[in-house]
Amino acid sequence: MADETPPAANNPYTQTHVVVAGDTLSKIAQKYYGDPSLYTQIFEANRDVLKDPNKIFPGQTLKIP
Amino acid sequence: MKKQFVWLLAAMMAVLIVGCASQKGPAEQAIAGAETALAAVRDQAQKYVPDQLQAVDAQIASAKDAFAKGDYKGVLAAGPGIMTAISGLKDAASAKAADADAALSKAKDAWSSVSTDVPKMVDAIQSRVDILSKSHHLPPNVTKDSLGAAKSGLDSLKSMWSDASSAASSGDYTGAMAKAQAVKDKAADIMKSLGMTS
Repeated sequence: MADETPPAANNPYTQTHVVVAGDTLSKIAQKYYGDPSLYTQIFEANRDVLKDPNKIFPGQTLKIP
Repeated sequence: MKKQFVWLLAAMMAVLIVGCASQKGPAEQAIAGAETALAAVRDQAQKYVPDQLQAVDAQIASAKDAFAKGDYKGVLAAGPGIMTAISGLKDAASAKAADADAALSKAKDAWSSVSTDVPKMVDAIQSRVDILSKSHHLPPNVTKDSLGAAKSGLDSLKSMWSDASSAASSGDYTGAMAKAQAVKDKAADIMKSLGMTS
């Protein structure tokens, strides 16, 4: 068992969220973590598809670590 | 007439004694042969069909008892039955050994998959627990209690997984798989309690 959390990218058990119109990373963080300030956790887990935390698009599938 | 009868009786006794003595060697060989045949399959039989082995042991013990009492004819009569029983014992033990090998092979394959799967489940839970622990407010479907239970459950999962891995390392893949399934079930419960499955 690794002590450090591996990249969520390679983990099929990492939860996912499909972006809908009106979503922001903060709103998604609020939904899954209860705290919008934790949006950075989602952004970091999705750096392979997100370049800017303010630019997410409907239909994108994001990993929720 | 009386003298003739005595001679006849003596002659009959002599024939009987010689007859019995001539059966002693074959009876001895029959027992030795059975013991040799049984020794060749004893270990496998002990492992896979101990009850059946016990029955054959009893048959041989009975033949030895008959031999000790001079019942060589009885020993020779029982011989084929004992050999048939040993042959059946060998077949039964071989069949069970083949079943056990197949089960082990299946468990080994399953372990190969689960040994990749379970650590990922645990890592996903660890990640969520770490993030939720930083959260100022929990999401509506997660309570403080369920987060606390997930934290302690995570420690338990790691310990259980360590046990399963140890079992696999020692070659007990069947035992390892049973433990791994328990880890998977518990991990699935924790994921559900943290809202990770919706």
